[in-house]
Amino acid sequence: MAGRLPACVIDPGTGYTKMGFAGNTEPQFIIPSAIAIKESAKVGEKSQRRLGKGVDDLDFFIGDEAIDKPNYACKYPVRHGIVDDWDLMERFLEQTIFKYLRAEPEDHYFLLTEPPLNTPENREYTAEIMFETFNVPGLYIAVQAVLALAASWTSRQVGERTLTGTVIDSGDGVTHVIPVAEGYVIGSCIKHIPIAGRDITYFVQQLLRERETGIPPEQSLETAKAIKERWGYICPDIAKEFTKYDTDPGKWMKKYDGINAITKKPFSADVGYERFLGPEVFFHPEFSNPDFTTPISETVDIVIQNCPIDVRRPLYKNIVLSGGSTMFRDFGRRLQRDVKRIVDARLKISEELSGGRIKPKPIETQVISHHMQRYAVWFGGSMLASTPEFYQVCHTKADYDEHGPSICRHNPVFGVMS
Amino acid sequence: MPAYHSSLSAPTKLGNMALLPINTKFKGPSPPGDGGPDIIDEALQYFKANVFFRTYEIKSEADRVLIYITLYITECLKKLQRCTSKEAGKKDMHSLAIANFAIPGEPMFPLNAMYQKATSKAEADSMRSYLTQIRQETGKRLVEKAFDPATDKPSKWWMCFAKRKFMEKSLSAPGQ
Repeated sequence: MAGRLPACVIDPGTGYTKMGFAGNTEPQFIIPSAIAIKESAKVGEKSQRRLGKGVDDLDFFIGDEAIDKPNYACKYPVRHGIVDDWDLMERFLEQTIFKYLRAEPEDHYFLLTEPPLNTPENREYTAEIMFETFNVPGLYIAVQAVLALAASWTSRQVGERTLTGTVIDSGDGVTHVIPVAEGYVIGSCIKHIPIAGRDITYFVQQLLRERETGIPPEQSLETAKAIKERWGYICPDIAKEFTKYDTDPGKWMKKYDGINAITKKPFSADVGYERFLGPEVFFHPEFSNPDFTTPISETVDIVIQNCPIDVRRPLYKNIVLSGGSTMFRDFGRRLQRDVKRIVDARLKISEELSGGRIKPKPIETQVISHHMQRYAVWFGGSMLASTPEFYQVCHTKADYDEHGPSICRHNPVFGVMS
Repeated sequence: MPAYHSSLSAPTKLGNMALLPINTKFKGPSPPGDGGPDIIDEALQYFKANVFFRTYEIKSEADRVLIYITLYITECLKKLQRCTSKEAGKKDMHSLAIANFAIPGEPMFPLNAMYQKATSKAEADSMRSYLTQIRQETGKRLVEKAFDPATDKPSKWWMCFAKRKFMEKSLSAPGQ
């Protein structure tokens, strides 16, 4: 339909919500998924406590404004990717649409994202809010992992566009490895890794604390975060990397300059080994977490080996990265090398066991990195929601009125044909 | 990529540690080195990487020597932290090397699960002098590396590893 307004794409994550209009390459807003409300300190049901007088229910803030608001309670309605408090989520979406996107929800189709293994009931709640509160004309609920796969199409040939692949989604709190076959998530094979952005920051902070004396303690976390984001990278071999640093410090060591928030005096810190040791935690989790020792490459291999045998080759061939913590330089290269090593070793063993009679066809391993990695999920949504097909698969208001929220339990896969 | 292992091997053993050649002037049972990289060079090179590992798979007899040197380097760093100059560091290293220490099989030795006890008095004696020789040479080489030539103070790029515990073990008793 010509002249139709673009669809709104909203990706509510645990830490940040990404929102914008379909067809754009970057989200319009990235705000913390936080909401600040007035809440009385009384004991009892939360709905009772939030009951105010008059227009008090309009008195709330979201995003950056919500953080550290005095006299308000700051809440995160999304926990581990799944919506936890629907009442707050409804209010959160209200300001997302009206205050940030400044859109009239009756004029736009909506694409919302959900984590893998979201329950159908949660989709019904989402549908209720979107259709009944906001009166949207159409809604589609997409799985984040599938959108991340779609986002990786930018880096490949048109003929190779596929919705089969392994998605490694690493944000601030948790990392998932999610196998997807033909647009369907293989739910039983998903694995979580308790190593993500925050753990790397903590590890960098610890290394800095053991060596640098100039950093004010209350600023050490943000200093560590800045160092991680600015200079972190993945090295091929840590012993060699140490030698490199020791023989030519001037080339590799960096200097971080900051200003003490309280005294306003400048301070500086040398940045050395933590540049590569921080991100190395993905490949050697034992460095920072004594209870978890499986490297990410091994987890990827285990996940794919758990999948049905006929999709394993395509899953190895299309390992897609998504999320801010996969943005370290050479992350993809190192992962590809390590996964390939495991796979090749296995093939070699099976060749030896057969006594040389069977020669397995080598398995192609490929890790895809692309420019949209940080907002891969949102970008995939923006891309799919700008195709004409999107409007055919959306659940419309008319359908909703006819059948009820249960129609949103299922959202057909689309986009493979284009 | 697991932890780094020694690439050396030796025909003779002491307990189940390899008796490797060392390039040193200190007296002891180890055969003289050929001038090429020896086990102490390896341990110093891999120290910064290996010290982060909590587990270590022993692949050869030489690895046991590598583990011992790695743990000893940590001990040295703890001492050197408090030194004010390279000269003082040298002295401290010398006294630490010949100080009373436990050998495999003694109750104070932290790695008795992995190291064999000496079978005879004579073997225990040569084990002790072999380890002393290693300690002396390691200390000597570490001092050369771990001091900043510009300031004559211990380099923070080494001292930051003093608190790390390789394999969650330490040669000194708890609390020291």
